[in-house]
Amino acid sequence: MRKWKKAVSLMLTAAMALSFAACGGSASSASSASGTAGSSEAESAADSAAASENVASFTESDVAYVQDKGTLVVGMTDFAPMDYRNDSGEWIGFDADMAKAFAEYLGVEAEFLEINWDNKLMELDTKGVDAIWNGMTITDEVTNGASVSEPYCNNGQVVVVSADKAADYQDVESLSGLSFAVENGSAGAEQLDALGIPYVAKSTQADALMEVASGASDACVIDLLMAGAMIGEGTSYPDLTYTVQLNSEEYGVGFRKGSDLVDAFNTFWKEAYDDGTVMETATTYGVQESVIEK
Amino acid sequence: MLLTVTLTLLEGLGTTLKLFALTLLFALPLGLVIALGAMSRITPLRWLVSTVVWVVRGTPLMIQILIIFYGPGLLFDLPLLPRFGAALLSFVINYACYFSEIYRGGIQSIPKGQYEAGEVLGMTKSQIFFKVTLLQVIKRIVPPMGNEFITLVKDTALVRVISVYEIIWMGESYIKKGMIWPLFYTAVFYLVVNGILTLLFRWAEKKLDYFR
Repeated sequence: MRKWKKAVSLMLTAAMALSFAACGGSASSASSASGTAGSSEAESAADSAAASENVASFTESDVAYVQDKGTLVVGMTDFAPMDYRNDSGEWIGFDADMAKAFAEYLGVEAEFLEINWDNKLMELDTKGVDAIWNGMTITDEVTNGASVSEPYCNNGQVVVVSADKAADYQDVESLSGLSFAVENGSAGAEQLDALGIPYVAKSTQADALMEVASGASDACVIDLLMAGAMIGEGTSYPDLTYTVQLNSEEYGVGFRKGSDLVDAFNTFWKEAYDDGTVMETATTYGVQESVIEK
Repeated sequence: MLLTVTLTLLEGLGTTLKLFALTLLFALPLGLVIALGAMSRITPLRWLVSTVVWVVRGTPLMIQILIIFYGPGLLFDLPLLPRFGAALLSFVINYACYFSEIYRGGIQSIPKGQYEAGEVLGMTKSQIFFKVTLLQVIKRIVPPMGNEFITLVKDTALVRVISVYEIIWMGESYIKKGMIWPLFYTAVFYLVVNGILTLLFRWAEKKLDYFR
């Protein structure tokens, strides 16, 4: 009986504590909503008067918006040789280095944010990022949802198969019997759609490659630039190779719809091309043959 | 290489566990508030709470995360919440609703006779709830809560849709470097965390093994 009482009083204490927490809970979780919003919420509260102005004035100048906050947030993914981390964890690559140069040109800091590429247009729209710049093929999806710079790189979509089967699949007609994996909504998926070839949609090109490497699919369609860097001798996928190139296409940088950053970028790029920065950077990362002449 | 990968994944696991712990911290009490609302004698309040619970439990958590993060910017041109904050908010709301149903089931499983006995003894409604009911409720809801806790650990993987870098995101990032095994290796970490949770719950059940 005494033991029982002791247990009860212990539990009661716990129960009371819980109920207090409950009372505080609804209030504190509400405040935590704004509380976790934390620093940037505080800033944006201060900004919010300015923010509503920004919204209005943004259509006039996205450049001013970026310069005001002092950072150019670049939405990207880990995608060598365009964007990847060096040993000290810093983002480098052809796109990353040029993005840093562009930020410097604007007088701001470049901030790299790894995003879920499926949501890139939403990220731009909601100002989660200021640019999407990651070896991005200019497709209808992108041009409909964003303002895109002049193209700066050539690319194409290629079919990847295991090396021992490659000889049988050297032209488009031979592809119909293969099972395909491809990144959902990618330029490669558009090509397969156009050819009427069914496929398994994956969330990244790397996942599509994994399908082929594991034997789950016979083939996948990925960027030529990526294929060059990721498959064949001396890579993690030595048994894979690419055969047919399905199209040729171009890379561009995406900005918010109607943003004046597009013009700023085009001017910047022309200057950087003329003074040799572009080719120099491209050569560092081995993509010089793909760069478009300005 | 195993060490580097393990360290990177542990970094992701930190985010996973932070989300797990903070969700519990806020959702456990909030769930009780919602449960009390769902049993309220005020009919409009009861309807309102049931509707909210229906919507939150009836829609995918992934969509809720996307709406809470991107919604303000897309619909009203407002600045976004920080990514982790938006993820936490979605999880607290979602899990509070699930918890509330568990609390409600527990509370309503207490025989009515006990309330009547309490009233006969001159106890107030809140005295009966806190001194008689809640104690037994806690004991009864431990097993279903264990289920939810374990599900929560694994559900945290969803927040990578808004680029919160939890453990699966970290594992997937290796795929681009041509390494497939780190993604599968993440399962080991979940297994360990859930193993510890299972042991904790077993211990808690034993501790609560009074009056049967």
